[in-house]
Formats: sequence, structure tokens, C-alpha cells
Amino acid sequence: MKSAKSIIISIFIVGGGQVYEGRLWVGIAFAVIFYGSIFLMKNIWTGLNPAFWGIVGVWILFWLYNIYDAYKGATYDKPPCEKACPAGITPWIYINLIATDSKEEYPFFPFFKILERICPAPCEDKCTRRGIDKPVAIKYLKSAVKMSPPQCNHKKRDKRIGIIGAGPCGLAAGYFLVKKGYGVTIYEKEEMPGGVLRTFIPEFRLSSSVLDEEIEKILNCGIELKCGVRVGADISLDELLQKYDALFVATGAGKPIKLNILGEENCLNGLELLKEIKKGKEFHLGRVGVVGGGNTAIDVARSLIRQGNKVTIYYRRRIEDMPCEHEDREEAREEGIEIVPLCLPQRVEDGRVTFIKTAAPEGRKGRIEIMPDSEFEVELDRLVLACGQIPDSAFLRKYLKVNQNGSIKVKNGRTSHPKIFAGGDAVLGSKTLAHAVGQAKEVADLIDFSLRGIAPGIGRFFKKSYMPRVEVLPIKDLPRIKIPHRDVEERKNDFLEVELRASEEELRKEADRCLACPLRYRP
Amino acid sequence: MKRIVQIVFVIIHNSYIPAFFSGGIYQGVLKRYCTPILNCWGCPLAWYSCPMGALQHFIGLRLIPFYILGIFSTVGMTIGRMSCGWICPFGFLQDILYKIKSFKLKLPNWCSYLKYVMLIGVAVFVVYLTEEPWFCKLCPDGSLIAGIPLVLADRSGDLRALVGWHYYMKIAILIFILLGSIGIKRFFCRTFCPVGAIYSVFNRFSLLRIRVNKKRCIDCGSCQLVCPMDVPIHRSPNHIDCIRCLDCKKVCPTQAIKYEVR
Repeated sequence: MKSAKSIIISIFIVGGGQVYEGRLWVGIAFAVIFYGSIFLMKNIWTGLNPAFWGIVGVWILFWLYNIYDAYKGATYDKPPCEKACPAGITPWIYINLIATDSKEEYPFFPFFKILERICPAPCEDKCTRRGIDKPVAIKYLKSAVKMSPPQCNHKKRDKRIGIIGAGPCGLAAGYFLVKKGYGVTIYEKEEMPGGVLRTFIPEFRLSSSVLDEEIEKILNCGIELKCGVRVGADISLDELLQKYDALFVATGAGKPIKLNILGEENCLNGLELLKEIKKGKEFHLGRVGVVGGGNTAIDVARSLIRQGNKVTIYYRRRIEDMPCEHEDREEAREEGIEIVPLCLPQRVEDGRVTFIKTAAPEGRKGRIEIMPDSEFEVELDRLVLACGQIPDSAFLRKYLKVNQNGSIKVKNGRTSHPKIFAGGDAVLGSKTLAHAVGQAKEVADLIDFSLRGIAPGIGRFFKKSYMPRVEVLPIKDLPRIKIPHRDVEERKNDFLEVELRASEEELRKEADRCLACPLRYRP
Repeated sequence: MKRIVQIVFVIIHNSYIPAFFSGGIYQGVLKRYCTPILNCWGCPLAWYSCPMGALQHFIGLRLIPFYILGIFSTVGMTIGRMSCGWICPFGFLQDILYKIKSFKLKLPNWCSYLKYVMLIGVAVFVVYLTEEPWFCKLCPDGSLIAGIPLVLADRSGDLRALVGWHYYMKIAILIFILLGSIGIKRFFCRTFCPVGAIYSVFNRFSLLRIRVNKKRCIDCGSCQLVCPMDVPIHRSPNHIDCIRCLDCKKVCPTQAIKYEVR
């Protein structure tokens, strides 16, 4: 342990630990100011007086600062990409590692390969490079990262933690907790772990082999997984509370929102449909309308068109405001899916659906007005509803406070029960994978602090900063990488992944485009 | 560019070489003139006098210091706080100290207003009551470039005999400020400097000012990263802490930041 040694050196020699770590100038500056002032005081000493204790106080402060600095390492101001990432990844660091051909490995992060495929990349929306030309392809660069294997050979603690739900949040939290040395058991109601990634995300966006690989990596750390166990039915929550020191609820959001329209019982549910399709069932429905504008709606539409149906998406706001990923939307349009914006379904009859036109303001928020006398009929064989989903936490109502929309009430990261923690879609409502993993990280820290009896503020104070050897490269005038996609005619008929992987060399070039803001823009 | 100007002005301010031989301070004709930034006039190498020292001297005599106020308002009205960024030697020292790769801290916003307490409370009110230049007695710049060298180089032993609790306190404050400016961007300038406090009032009205083109700004925050005073330029271009170093103009990826003379 390099940092443990440098702390010990720093305790005895101010600035010594920093020099040992390789930060020469910090060490020299610390030593010059500290020993210089001691030398000065020795030189001008005229006897003890009360102000001398002030100097002693500042020396002690200096000494503590020096030890803390040796422990924590250099920090930096967060660049926009890191601020934007809900999962707390440091994109500029891994890009710098690629660009400089560094031998250093990026620390393991759960679901990294999956984030590469299905993340909406809020980091790219904030990238500084977009001011010059186009943002760096942060999302796709993940495939060129040299990642260290999962770290789980820490010392074991005797506390055990139960996790309900083997979705992204549950599995990620499991990894972060095992890394800290806790024993972890995950309960999953389905036959296979993976949650939404397994049941709903279609094969052409995320192939099962990648998912299996990523889950395997996490489970190999020594997480116990119990599949096919439904908490509340097969095993009661009371039993779990007795068995474990802390419970983490990551049940996700799986309850579809109802529209309350006439003939809704004849409609298909988007989530159910995706589940069946993933299991291999074929749907030949003819002309299908999909209601909704989120990722689920786009996924349903693209899955159905691959089975030979004619699909139209109906959305209540403008096309630009659809909450799905823009790239996916464009891909869907290329594949021949029509999108009709600004309308809501009114009645569903046999072979016929009545819609009504709406007026919606710009942006995703704001009230939608219904235009009077603007009903129109469309001949559709089936209507699929994919208007979002909410958490289903009925079995928890006895123990926890639950919000009106079904999500679990959380204050400062804690639920109303001292031993139960919650995270993921069950708290956030349906959000992205990055949000789920970010929450898992946060809650894992919180569980750790609360089991060890540390206040979260102090715990965060003693968190080490991560900054490997990084360097500023000159700004290069390169265009943004173009990620190859499979040909439309070819991909329309099968369920293989649409995005192809870019070559190592191209990604290496793309990494050169990063400005490394925190290093370049320093005072 | 900025660094060169800063080094040149360190030399312009503090280069009275004969001090090395005589051990005394310069007392010639240039000492009648005030430099527009905080630079102790007690330093053996200093050519000019310190405006803050002169201000307190006049307040101590219960006179209105028209000369000093004139200098402050002339400089302030034309270039705002620019002299802090380009010619202040103590600011330069803090810039260099922040460059070392230690762990860094952020200062809460209210700390920016502490310097008004320093100006009105210590440098004006207390001085008026006690008739002693109390800010000079606490000033870390004074102890660094005047107090320490004078006492160390003192041959006769007169000054050494004066070292007491007050001198010890100055050393403690100096170490604290140096430590702070390793971890915080321009710690002294932002929290305690009374000269900066006077200039910061003029920042809103000065002839030279910074404009941000809101249409071009992409809110990337590079300007705040590079800013030696940690000012969010893209949100408040003429912030009281802006020292017009114009680094933000250089790094802005969309050239949204411009300075203009009105």
C-alpha cells in the first residue's frame, strides 16, 4: 500500500509523503513553509508569549493538512462530463488513459460494457468540445478502456446484507458492498438475474451474451444469488429483516401506467410484449399503433417491425421532446416506423382507434391542452400502450412510507425504516441505467457508514480521490468518430445488435479529441 | 503573457538592490508615489508606497486621504480590479502556490464579503479609533516581504528587541494564509484583501468590462475552471471578485467572452 506508507512518512516528515508519492513540488512547498517557519522562529526567538500558541496552532493545522493531503491525493475541479454523469464515472480520466496509451487500468465499474450500449450519454450533451465542433464520443470510447478485474479480495466483515431485486441497481450495490467486505445475498423473483436489462431491453440494443458476461463478473465476486424467490410471497420481509443487518430494496419500476380510455382492456401492454418477445414469442398483429414516446415505446415499435408488422408511434408532445434517445429515434425512423406527434388515444374499438389532437408547449414539462373537435380515426388492428411505468411497492407499504406514485419515500438517502435502504427505479421512478448504478454506489456507501456507525459527512471526507498519472495533449483538429451501424434492410429482419463496434485505432484517435478540461483549464 | 507581466511588475515594485548592502529601506523620491496594489512599503526592496498603508496613516491622523482615494477611484473606474490580476506580487505568489498539486478546497460564496469587514472594520474603523495602522500590523504581505527580511537582516539588534507577541501573531497569520492559498484559489485576495474590496466596488462601473454572449455560451464552465478567483464568469461576468486577468477569454471554446471599453 503506497498511500499507507506515504501517510506514515508524512506524519514524521512534513511533505515527505508527497515526495514519496511522486508529487515533488507539493512536498517541497510544504517542507519549505513548515521547516522555514520553524527555522525563522528559532532565529528570532525572544521568549514565550501567548501569541506563540497561535503559531503552534497553525503548525498543527499545517501538519494535519499535510497528512490529509498524503492520504487523499491531489484533487481537481470537476469537468462538465463528470458533473453530468449520474453514475459518477470520470470520463475524462479514462479517455486520457486511452489517449496516452497508459498501462494503468481504470478501476472496475459494474455494467461498463452495457452503459456503452444503452446509456443516453448526458456527458456528451455537456462536453466542452461541443463548443469547438462536436462532443467527444465518450459513450463509445468505453470499449477501448483497459479495465481492471473486479476488486473483491478485501478483508471480510461479519455483517450480512440482503438485497431485494437483481436488477442493475441491486447487482451494482451488491458489487460495491462485497468490495467493502460485506456478505451479500440477492433475492430475485425471475429465473435469471438482470432485471430490466434481461426482460425488457431488446436483443438488438443489448445482446444477452454481453449482459451475461457483465453479470458473471459481478457475481463471481462472491455474491449469493437466490432466483425465483418472491419476497412477500415465498419469504416474508420480517424474516429477511431478522436474518440480515441491513436490507436494500431495489425492486425497480415495473407497473405500467394506465391511460383510462375506453377499450383499454383490448390493448396490449408494452412491457409484457417486450418480455414475451424476449422469450422468443412471435407477434403477427398487422397494423399496430404504439402509444408513448419513451425508450419502451421505441423498443416495442422496433421489435414489432422486426416481426413483420406495420408500426406507427403516437406521441402526445412534439417529436423533438420525446424522452427516448435521439439516436434510437432516428434509427427507428430509418427502419420504417412512422411517428405521429401531438395526439392522444380516445377510444379503442375493433380495428379502429379514435385519436384526438393536442397542443403541447416546448419542452418535456408543461400542461397539454386538448384541441376541441379534432378527433380522427385510424384503422389499427392493435394498440400497444407504452406510456411509462411506475414502481410497484405494495408489499412494502406495511414497513415504509410510500409516495403517491408508488415510489419509496427517501430522505437524505434513508427510508422511514432504519434497517431498510432503497434505491434504483423504486425510488427514482423509471430512469436510466446510469442513474441506477449511481444510486447503488451512493446507497452502498450509506449502508457501509450506517453499519459502522460513521456519520456520512465524515465518511465522505475520508474518501480517497482518484487521479492517476494524466497529462495534457495538444488540441487536435479531428472529426468525431462515426459509429458503424448495420444496413437498414439487413437489420430490419433480425434481432442482432444494430450498432457495430468501432476499431481500436479509430477509438484511439477519438480519445485524442478530449480537451482534458481540469488539466488544461487550470489557473 | 500574464505571467511575464506579473514577473515584470514584481521587479518594478521590489528591486531596490542597495538594500542588500545597506540593510535599510528606500526612502527616496519614489516613495511619495502609491502603487495601486497591496505591496508593503516597509519592504527593503520596495520602491513605492502601499496605498493601504498610506490610507491608514491618514485615517490615523484623522484626515481625509484624498490622494489615496483619488488613486483608487481613478484605477477602479478605468480598469476595475485588473491591477490585482496583472501586477500584484502577492497575488502572483498565491497563483503560483495554487499550482502545486495538492488536494483543493472550495470557498463558500459568503467569504467574498469578509473583505469588506476587513476594510471597513479593521482598516478604517479600528484605525480611526486607535490611531494605529492595524491592518498593517496583521497584513501577511507585510510580514512576508518586510517583517521577516528586516528582522533577519538586522545587524544592530534594535529590531530584534522589538519582536514580541505581535510579531509572533503576524507569523501565524502568514503561515495560515500561505497554507490556505495552497488549497484555495487566491485565498487572501478573495477573503481579506481591503484593496481588492475597494476595487471590487468599481467592478460594476469600470470602463473596461467583460461581456458574455449568452447565445454562444454553452455553459461548459471552462472559464470557472481556469479562473484564479473561482468566479463563474459565464453566469456573472462582472462579479466583485473578477480580477480581469482575461484567462477566461483565452480558454472559452466558443469565444463567447469578450472585453469591451465603454
